Amino acid sequence: MKLAWRELVRRPSRFLTAGAALTLLVLLLLVLGGILDALVNSATGVLRAQTAPLIVYSADSKGSIDRSRISSEQHAGIANVPGVREATGLGVVLLAGHIEGRTEPADVAVFGYEAPNATVPAPPAPGQAYADASLQAAGLELGQTMVLGRARTPVEVVGWVSGTNYNLQGGVWVEPATWREALNANIPDAAVSPGTFQAILVTPQDGSPVADVAAAIDDRVPGVTALTIDEAIAGVPGVSDQESVFTSIIGTTFAVSGIVVALFFALLTIERVGLLGVLKAIGASSRTLAAGLTVQAVLIAAGALATGSLFALGLAQVIPDTVPLELSTSRFVFTAVGLVVTALIGSAISFRRIIRIDPASAVGGA
Amino acid sequence: MRFALGEIRRAKLRFILLVGAVALLVFLILFQQTLAGSLLGQFTGGLEHQSASVLVYSADARRSVDGSRVLPQNVAAVAGVEGVAASGPIGEASFSAKVAGGTILDTTIFGYELGGPGAPTTLSEGRLPERDGEAVASAQDADKGYGFGQQVTIVPGATPISIVGLADDAAFNVQPTLFVSYATYEGLVMSTNPEAKGVVPNLVGVETSAGADPSTVAAAITAQVDGVEALDRNTAVASLPGVSSIQQSFGIILALAFVVVILLIGFFFLIVTVQKTASLTLLRAVGASGGFLLGGLIAQVLIVIGLALLVAIPLTLLAVNGIGSGGFVATVEPSTLVTTSISIILLGVVASIGAMRRVAKIDPAAATMRLAGGGLA
Amino acid sequence: MTEGPHVSALDMQDVRKTYGNGETQVAALDHVTLKVGDDEMVALVGPSGSGKTTLLSIAGGLLSPTEGDVIVGPHHITDYNRRELTRFRRDMVGFVFQGANLVPFLTAKENLLLVADVAGKRGKGIDRRAERLLEELGLADRVKNTPPQLSGGERQRVAIGRALMNEPELVLFDEPTSALDSRLGEQVMELIRTEVKGRGTAAVVVTHDQRMTHYADRVVEISDGRLVA
Repeated sequence: MKLAWRELVRRPSRFLTAGAALTLLVLLLLVLGGILDALVNSATGVLRAQTAPLIVYSADSKGSIDRSRISSEQHAGIANVPGVREATGLGVVLLAGHIEGRTEPADVAVFGYEAPNATVPAPPAPGQAYADASLQAAGLELGQTMVLGRARTPVEVVGWVSGTNYNLQGGVWVEPATWREALNANIPDAAVSPGTFQAILVTPQDGSPVADVAAAIDDRVPGVTALTIDEAIAGVPGVSDQESVFTSIIGTTFAVSGIVVALFFALLTIERVGLLGVLKAIGASSRTLAAGLTVQAVLIAAGALATGSLFALGLAQVIPDTVPLELSTSRFVFTAVGLVVTALIGSAISFRRIIRIDPASAVGGA
Repeated sequence: MRFALGEIRRAKLRFILLVGAVALLVFLILFQQTLAGSLLGQFTGGLEHQSASVLVYSADARRSVDGSRVLPQNVAAVAGVEGVAASGPIGEASFSAKVAGGTILDTTIFGYELGGPGAPTTLSEGRLPERDGEAVASAQDADKGYGFGQQVTIVPGATPISIVGLADDAAFNVQPTLFVSYATYEGLVMSTNPEAKGVVPNLVGVETSAGADPSTVAAAITAQVDGVEALDRNTAVASLPGVSSIQQSFGIILALAFVVVILLIGFFFLIVTVQKTASLTLLRAVGASGGFLLGGLIAQVLIVIGLALLVAIPLTLLAVNGIGSGGFVATVEPSTLVTTSISIILLGVVASIGAMRRVAKIDPAAATMRLAGGGLA
Repeated sequence: MTEGPHVSALDMQDVRKTYGNGETQVAALDHVTLKVGDDEMVALVGPSGSGKTTLLSIAGGLLSPTEGDVIVGPHHITDYNRRELTRFRRDMVGFVFQGANLVPFLTAKENLLLVADVAGKRGKGIDRRAERLLEELGLADRVKNTPPQLSGGERQRVAIGRALMNEPELVLFDEPTSALDSRLGEQVMELIRTEVKGRGTAAVVVTHDQRMTHYADRVVEISDGRLVA
């Protein structure tokens, strides 16, 4: 093992090409994963930030909040279902937000809501809004008034929130009447009457199982479907397609990394067959030699991870805003674990060759 | 050539791993290219393959069809601009459609004035709608329940739509797409949202007069009509939200993949060459010319890449079909396949220059010296 | 490992080593019987192809005989499996190969410590032994040099040091002077004799150079796989 470490440290150039190839593959993996995460988060982030475990849509909206409408009667009905502690409304409309002093409007997602969640405090006063910190990049400042859409509905920014983007547009959180005003003025064919929401967030009473409450809502309130947040996330259109496509590409890239490691160490072993024969002659077991190989593979993978991650972070700074890219800790961890496992498997390909090296080959000269 | 093949035969595992790795990398590139192309088409097809050569958005809309609403007075004003032969409202929205069998699918619906701009232009079967309640559907979704002669019901409100024609490459927002009369469209909006205060068209579609340049007419409309932005069709398609995201995302991914593929090919062949230095030196010493060795190397590179392509192309087709069964439609463009294959072959040979230089540097005189073999001193 | 009464450092009894079968069978060693005493230095001389390398390999536990018995010290290694042979070589035998065969990126001292590393044994005692050996071999100022920085003779001396590190029963030398000129060759042979005698270790030195054989206690000739009486 010490021998393996020393070779790596004293003869780094021979491992350089494999290291460089793996670094690029790490970069590719992180970029792919980062794009997937950004796409999924932008479609589902708001759902995942909810503290309420259930969300209710209208029955024929197919889990799409855009087309869902819940009337105030249905809202009241849901609130009265036994086992329901709290049923609060949620609605969203996508508009252009015009910022004072800026010619380019920002794309915003205006949420009307009634109750706080993991990322947003209780609703502000009418005409006021919490804005997502990502909108600062568009020039928005605390205390400024942003006007929404063609109808120029005004809202005053009184605080910041983060992680509340929807469809890659910055979240702007207002109380329900303000939301309805913005929606009705700008998109009359999607207008809603007072009391109507697009979805209802339901928190069950302590002790009431979530599944039971969902079933009760479906039974008792006509025209609605209650879903757990996980079901709602899975049902967001396009998400599962995106995930399966990207995951298969990522899987293929991991396989390629494994082959890079396998090929590199197979060739390295062939190059060193003389040295390995001598080591066996003086008493090194195949197990010791194989372990040394594994150590080198894992260390190279670790080096590639570190360098590739730095490149990925650098790349994230320079790519244009229109490219969705989010590098999260869990993505790094996933890639790291995956690469180490792949390196382990790849290096194991050479084990048979190591075992077959005959120590008697050391005797007899060049 | 015989020399190259003999070498390959003698080092089968190495060779197989090499071909395998290159095949997977090439597959990555081909697969992602196919995805990008198909995805893009399914985002934009409905807008690209309709008859309006100029599209007028509300100035506010940031060139997004979904977010655009053109006020009635502006709709009328467009008609008066020079170069406008015909103009009419175009509505677009996403609805839930129940197909035969009861499944409910997300569907994009375009409403246009029958006989006016906005009609689908790539009809492959049937005819255009002639009355309310008829539709042309995107052909790729025909077997999802949007087949010729079938009926779908838009919910809520249970409005039946009969499919009287199919059009190619006509999907929009990666959803099955229907083209209906504007009146039908208005009825659908009102029935699915009873609280709606009226229907405002997303766009105004314009057919330009003979000889008029669409971009010039577009500029004129933008200048003369309040609160609108007009774009010629190509610009509109390119400006759709999501298009630049997709193009740039896949651009980055493909660029990275290409770089990785090329470097890996070069790296593999360099290592293999270095490892064979002793036997190659011997060959030179017994009279093989540098050109002979080089030729052998290039032959090997071409064989490896050729075999890798033979594996990667069917793999791509398989993967594309696999994805297709999940509802997402992807088609492989033969021209893209050919250009990518040729570039990989060329770039692969370029990448092996490192190995080639090593081969060229081999000094036959070194054969007489005792070489430290097998990593020892 | 099986141990029996301690008789001699090496006891090969009627050893045969054949390759292939039927008509094409080749006997690399044919009925070889050889005894080497505890601190005896034996020179094994023969032309190339005579089987001396095979004999050395079998004596050192690198090959197993087809017939016959091999006993090294108290170890009957004839029927040892691969794992047991590996351990036997690690603890009981020292090899000096024709081309020194050092690890090129390790220093002279680290090359000596290689066997201890492989066996997982380390510590100040072993460290000091390596330093002392290098001193005895005249390499005190070469401790930190790597093989590419050493001359051919110096490398061979490091190889000898490596072979002696695990305090073996038996040290086997495969043409230790063939890569050196005669003056260096004599120096190395003297060194071998000094070290081997000083430690009471037995040695078998394969060589085809008749000028070097006088350093040994005994010369054994081998030809066509048989020992010449």
